Amino acid sequence: MNPIVPSPDPLPLPAPAPLIALLLHLTLLVHFLFMNGLLGGAALIVLSRWRSRGPGDHHARLAREVSRLLPTLFAGTVTFGVAPLLFMQALYGHFFYTSSIAIARPWFAVIPLLLLAYYGAYLNAMRGAGRDRGGRPGLARTLAAPAVLLLTAAIAFIYTNNLSLMLRPDRWTTAILADPGGGGWNLGEPTLWPRYLHMILGAIAVGGMLLAVWGRSRRDDPDFADFARRHGTAVFGWATAANVMVGLWLLFALKREVMLLMMGGSRPATILFGIGFLLALAVIAEAIRMRMSPKPRSPVLLASLTVILTAAMVMLRDVVRGGYLAPWHRPEAFAVRPQTLNMALFALLLIAGLALVIRMILALARGRSA
Amino acid sequence: MNYPVWQLDIGGGVLMAVVSVLHVFVSHFAIGGGLWLVVTEARARARGDVGMLDFVRRHSRFFILLTLVFGAITGVGIWFVAGLISPAAINTLIRTFLWGWAIEWVFFVIEIAAALVYWYGWDRLSARAHLAVGWIYFGAAFMSLAVINGIVTFMLTPGGWLENREFWTGFFNPTYWPSLAIRGCAAVALAGLFTLLTAAFLDDAPLRRRMVRHNALWVLAGTVLAAGASYWYRSAFPGWDEALLGAIPVLPTVASVLRWTTAAVIALALWPLIAPGRWHAGSALVLLAIALAAFGAGEWVREAGRKPYVIHGYLYSNGVRIGSQEAALAADGVARHTKWIHPARRDGAEPAALGSDLYRAWCAQCHTMDRYNGLRPFLAYRNAVEIADLLPHLGDMRALMPPWHGDRRDDAALSAYLAAEGATCDAAWPEDPVRAGGLAWDLSCGLCHTADRFRPLRESLAGMEREELSEMLDALDDYSDRMPAYTAGDAERRRLLDHLQGLAGTGATAERSTR
Repeated sequence: MNPIVPSPDPLPLPAPAPLIALLLHLTLLVHFLFMNGLLGGAALIVLSRWRSRGPGDHHARLAREVSRLLPTLFAGTVTFGVAPLLFMQALYGHFFYTSSIAIARPWFAVIPLLLLAYYGAYLNAMRGAGRDRGGRPGLARTLAAPAVLLLTAAIAFIYTNNLSLMLRPDRWTTAILADPGGGGWNLGEPTLWPRYLHMILGAIAVGGMLLAVWGRSRRDDPDFADFARRHGTAVFGWATAANVMVGLWLLFALKREVMLLMMGGSRPATILFGIGFLLALAVIAEAIRMRMSPKPRSPVLLASLTVILTAAMVMLRDVVRGGYLAPWHRPEAFAVRPQTLNMALFALLLIAGLALVIRMILALARGRSA
Repeated sequence: MNYPVWQLDIGGGVLMAVVSVLHVFVSHFAIGGGLWLVVTEARARARGDVGMLDFVRRHSRFFILLTLVFGAITGVGIWFVAGLISPAAINTLIRTFLWGWAIEWVFFVIEIAAALVYWYGWDRLSARAHLAVGWIYFGAAFMSLAVINGIVTFMLTPGGWLENREFWTGFFNPTYWPSLAIRGCAAVALAGLFTLLTAAFLDDAPLRRRMVRHNALWVLAGTVLAAGASYWYRSAFPGWDEALLGAIPVLPTVASVLRWTTAAVIALALWPLIAPGRWHAGSALVLLAIALAAFGAGEWVREAGRKPYVIHGYLYSNGVRIGSQEAALAADGVARHTKWIHPARRDGAEPAALGSDLYRAWCAQCHTMDRYNGLRPFLAYRNAVEIADLLPHLGDMRALMPPWHGDRRDDAALSAYLAAEGATCDAAWPEDPVRAGGLAWDLSCGLCHTADRFRPLRESLAGMEREELSEMLDALDDYSDRMPAYTAGDAERRRLLDHLQGLAGTGATAERSTR
């Protein structure tokens, strides 16, 4: 059956496509970092509660303290998830809407799942809430962190389904005409599971990295800070090592033409892939050094390399999307009628807004230390 | 036609209504509530009122949990649902207002960050810094509304944008300012409504009385001012008078619900003002429920007022753009331009099968078979031939549907499908002759006319005897190209004639009021 692909909107883009793509990548990078912190943080909490031998040990403290960060990480994930959703629709809307309609029921289910997970994160973080008369955590409180983990992992699975289906117009016609009620999961997609696992392992790894960075700020208790550093880097190292394997699985599951883009078919894509691969090895090496070092090593290098690696992954993701959609679509081909004044206004407000946000956070941080 | 249609049993419109009404209810509270927090905190600090300050602090936790979580996620929900049920419209809006939305997102980031800093800053920031963060929160939240209001009102009144396609022309459209005024006042009212609920749980009776009275003033001021601003809004609302006359059948009822619920909010809000000691959580919940109904009605009026467009004068609710796209449909029929048709059905060899895909592409966006805008109750009194006769007249109906540009093959296919789905003409008629006559009217003349208001018929029928009315029915399609021939069977025709005689004042039976 020939693929049916909707026509893009005839109105011109209000900015050149590369500028919108840049904003898409930048905001997606921030979204990924928050989302990884959220999902990885939830995984660390569950792991630590499982390994804790009592309320006074490091694992219990770690679970408690990371729990308090979860609602803020959730807010960041949602807030920085809106912008890439917007910019992606400007460039790929006609693909995204169609795959969303094909998978409409689970796609809409993301909203109630998000609500449950978000409130679960608050329940998990509240000091007094959800405890029984003896002060022990009640059932709801006990289940809150595993629920947040499962719910966010389920949301990630739905996202992976939709965003991989978006790249496969050849699957839409059958899926949509066979089930107009929107139950068309993309389970037959060879890249689905490696793509999903790649994302989940990446999240766990970044969660570990954030733990190592955050542990550094706990200078009041060097023993606990050292534990956070070692535990975080161990989680990071193992998850990243596993993710290198999953990444290779994903690479070979890609459509041949797309895979070959990163194997010399396209010079920028090949260089990007090479950088990503080397960075993955570099961060594993740095994680091992941090864990093995008898003296606390600064996590700045590990954090910087991880952010660059995540940025490389965001760009590789774009290469893959471009490769899959190449027969139908090139955003650069859209007519453009730039709204220069509005772009300038956005840039100005963004800079001023971020400065204001940083100022408020710094004031809060100063208040904490005071 | 360009996009597939998500066939949802409850109707996409209902899903959007639920998500969006709940969202706007909470998101307006997020704005007004932000103002309430900072104003009441400043007042408490200025008076050294520890009890009031403690209440503000506890209320801010409720505020954060409701607005940051439920408000933000349902806002994302609107994006999701809009993409699922109106992809053409959302794509057009993004092309037009990408930077508007991007700017709104910046305010959203500031708003969320300020809300968190405000909450976590109760013990960590100085009073001055805490209040400053509160004002930053409110400013960002209000600016977020000010931006999104331009896009929402654009859909109803794009104004000069239809000519020049300029961002700011579309943004500051004819309903922008009155809508902002209504929404701003409604936000103030909601701040009072939700705090009337949280204040009801205060243990300290004198403080509870003070706070209840304080919050009731917010409700009254916001609601009365919003009601006043609605008159300004109406003056810019396209075809308001005609819509209220019945051009959009549901609108008079919804507008009436809006009026009565608004009045009820004002009346009920006098209770906490006059007798704050008797105020309790149950009454606060009742007041909130009435306010939610008012919000729902207000949003429904705006949505219904757009019909048959999703972007007024530019894009029909079925995703067809006025101009070249509609002209192509008129010239070639709809099947040829409908992308989501099963290839094996496209030749029309099996009309009902082709009709099934046409139904999904052209009808299912607004209709279901049995629930929202259900077709089966109507189809049960019609047959395939009558449906095919009616299709070319859809654009003239009171419900303000987009025009149907099917050719004969499209008409045959869609009517064959609808016949198979229930247009069997075998439904039971009411025993009561008056109700039966009213139903016969609803199924024919009432689709496009009312008795007295919109395209009224009573006056032109006055004094006509049964024979004249019968001759008129025989010659309906001679009156105008827009009138379909009357082809109902004898029994239904007798019922309609009974009803028309009632309208004409020459019949034995009383006229039933027509919807």
